[in-house]
Amino acid sequence: MSTQTKIKEAMGAEAGKAVLRPVGKRTVTIAVAGNPNSGKSTLINAIAGTRLQVGNWAGVTVEKKEASFEFQGRRIRLVDLPGTYSLSPYTQEEIIARDYLVRERPDLIVNVVDATNLERNLYLTVQLLELGIPVVMALNIYDEAEAKGYRIDVSGMEKMLGITVVPTSATRKRGLDELLTGVLATADDPACRVPAVLNYGADVETAAACVSAALEKEHPELAGAYPLRWLAFKVMEGDSQVAQAIGIGQEAVPGEALHHLRRAHGEDIEAHMADARYALASGLTREVLVKPELRKMELTEKIDRVVLNRFLGIPIFLAAMWIMFKLTFDLSKPYGDWIGDMISGPFKHWAEALIGFLHAPDWTVSLVTDGIIAGVGNVLVFVPVIFAMMFFITFLEGSGYMARAAFVMDRAMHAIGLHGKSFIPMLLGFGCNVPAIYATRTLENQRDKALTALLIPLMSCGARLPVYVVFIGAFFPTHAGTVLWSLYVMGIALAIVMGVIFKRTLFRGEAPMFIMELPPYRMPSFRSLCIHTWEKGKHFLVKAGTYILAVSVLVWFLLNLPWGVQSKKDSYLGKVGQATAPILEPLGFGKWEASSSLIAGLIAKEIVVGTMGEIYVHKEEKKEAAPPFVDDLKEVATSFGKATKASFANVFATAGITSISTAEEPDKAAERAPLKEVLKTQFTPIAAYAFIVFVLLYMPCVIASVAMVQEFGTWKWYGIAFAYQMALAWGMAALVYQGGRLLGLGG
Amino acid sequence: MNLARLKPGETGRITAIGAIGPLKRRLMDMGVLVGEEVRVVKVAPLGDPIEVKVKSYSLSLRKKEAEGIAVEVAG
Repeated sequence: MSTQTKIKEAMGAEAGKAVLRPVGKRTVTIAVAGNPNSGKSTLINAIAGTRLQVGNWAGVTVEKKEASFEFQGRRIRLVDLPGTYSLSPYTQEEIIARDYLVRERPDLIVNVVDATNLERNLYLTVQLLELGIPVVMALNIYDEAEAKGYRIDVSGMEKMLGITVVPTSATRKRGLDELLTGVLATADDPACRVPAVLNYGADVETAAACVSAALEKEHPELAGAYPLRWLAFKVMEGDSQVAQAIGIGQEAVPGEALHHLRRAHGEDIEAHMADARYALASGLTREVLVKPELRKMELTEKIDRVVLNRFLGIPIFLAAMWIMFKLTFDLSKPYGDWIGDMISGPFKHWAEALIGFLHAPDWTVSLVTDGIIAGVGNVLVFVPVIFAMMFFITFLEGSGYMARAAFVMDRAMHAIGLHGKSFIPMLLGFGCNVPAIYATRTLENQRDKALTALLIPLMSCGARLPVYVVFIGAFFPTHAGTVLWSLYVMGIALAIVMGVIFKRTLFRGEAPMFIMELPPYRMPSFRSLCIHTWEKGKHFLVKAGTYILAVSVLVWFLLNLPWGVQSKKDSYLGKVGQATAPILEPLGFGKWEASSSLIAGLIAKEIVVGTMGEIYVHKEEKKEAAPPFVDDLKEVATSFGKATKASFANVFATAGITSISTAEEPDKAAERAPLKEVLKTQFTPIAAYAFIVFVLLYMPCVIASVAMVQEFGTWKWYGIAFAYQMALAWGMAALVYQGGRLLGLGG
Repeated sequence: MNLARLKPGETGRITAIGAIGPLKRRLMDMGVLVGEEVRVVKVAPLGDPIEVKVKSYSLSLRKKEAEGIAVEVAG
């Protein structure tokens, strides 16, 4: 039987049986489903634009996008399902998409299909049609397919599938209105667009009929809750998720129903079903698609010849990473510094002046300025770097290079139980752990994501650098480079060791896979990039901001209460420091000054230096008179100009990474000179080295912690990170100090 | 013969898929089915994973995963 007759027969025999009611409501809920790389995100961005809301699917780390807007007097609610290749029950994304479609029953599904890759995309379409929900197809990337000389018989496709098919090009914003019009037309009159009930072949259909009859008889309550034919398929396939949900497994199916299928196609009915679905997708593709006879060498192949070349592949990859790192951190750092300076300068002065008017007591002034405003500053300084990182990561993903990066690095990363895509988040960790943890969302698998996030804090971030610089300057000025290098290497080496340990313990038995599409290179649209960056950045600000603010205020209480203490030693922080100091005794720095600074450093590790300065070098509180309002205002503008200049200079003028260079600014160096002198009397060199090792390894700072909790929606991974890092920091510092003393090094 | 042993440029027809469970289902969902033609395009610079062309798109997989896919060499 030819494919054509098979499909026609399928349409004729079964079509029309499905009963679809018109939606008739004012609000139409649409679920958008499609393969990864089908241009689904771009299409949604083009339709919904800034009306998009980014969040997470309940309880999981998979991103959820929703938008609600008016079109032709109707309200359309778009729900973006995770990009999936199938609706099998094996990946988190697929389960989410499926559960939403089956349980929430949206009014309509918009199936985004990559016109340049019809067959594999239609495999998902076939599965969507099983659900008995009206479907409208967006035949996306249609312009590229045309450019390649593909001829697609759109009306033929509509006939065979029984649904509306609209050619679209999201990047060029073509076909969007037609798509929405098609959506409303189908929603209002589903009878004229009944999805074809595709024929899976006599064996499968007979078995499915038998199973659904049995289900209907024995469990009539299911008929209302699920589409019966779909349910029958799932029970036949032995789908564990469905079996669990309805409490009926493959074993409950009448034996004779599957017996025949098994005899004809072997034990693995699931495999046979996949074959049957692909057969339909291939058949459809052959019917509607004509490819040009002469196949040109595609741009993607040309680029890959160079980019994935045996010899050039790695150098190109490293160069790309260097550029990304430099752009992310060097571009954003002057702006972050500017925001920090503005908050602690002009903004603080204004707040002080305002509260002064109200004759508020001193402690409220301090709470507002040093607690709350400083806390807001702690959040805002992250804005530039988070936005820059989101932008570049989205670009790498959208352009198709992210998959190549994973392809190039997988061998090395796999050795420590990670995925090739883990490399980029780990690398970003050297700049700042916070964006690095957010970058783990590029990983699809929950296991890979969690393992990567657990190891990121071992990458020595830029905030730890000032601590190293002060200590190295005081104790090892002649070997500065070597000592600094040893810390970075230690972090990486421990990440490798911990990776192997976690692989064998926490994540034992889970076999991650690397079955990944290498999508064609595409230029992501600038608008889509900006919308994506903005939405994700906003998400960070709102969610993480609240926590960070709360913690900042808490630390203010610790540092400043009881109010009016003369010495830091009598503050709550000093008391906690005194209580915890004995624990640090074996590490060579069991003093309250050290432990208090370390606790304050949880806010951000560079604060260790500031707190030590306050404790050791009893600074005279110089009450500087606030400059006049106008000067402050001028300062805001001129320093922004300076930041922009510095940002450009950072990126274009130097080859190195400025934001993590060890060079101290002269004024800072002078300011810290007295601290260095005191440190020399307080620490032995080996204790000093143990201290910076401790700073490298001890728990992630509060903001990284918040990122971890927020990104995973659970405290579990943060708890593990906290525990293992504390143990590791203590153990390594003890090893350095005790080992050093045994060897007679500066004990 | 299995897919991992094909050299870049060589094409094979899949005769059996040895994987089970999620890996098998994932391979099938990606179009790696018995009877399908696969062409090895590239090996990653570090020697693993490999890139193959199947159903006229590019797929990458680790050699360990490719070892479970039996092929007969075609031209």
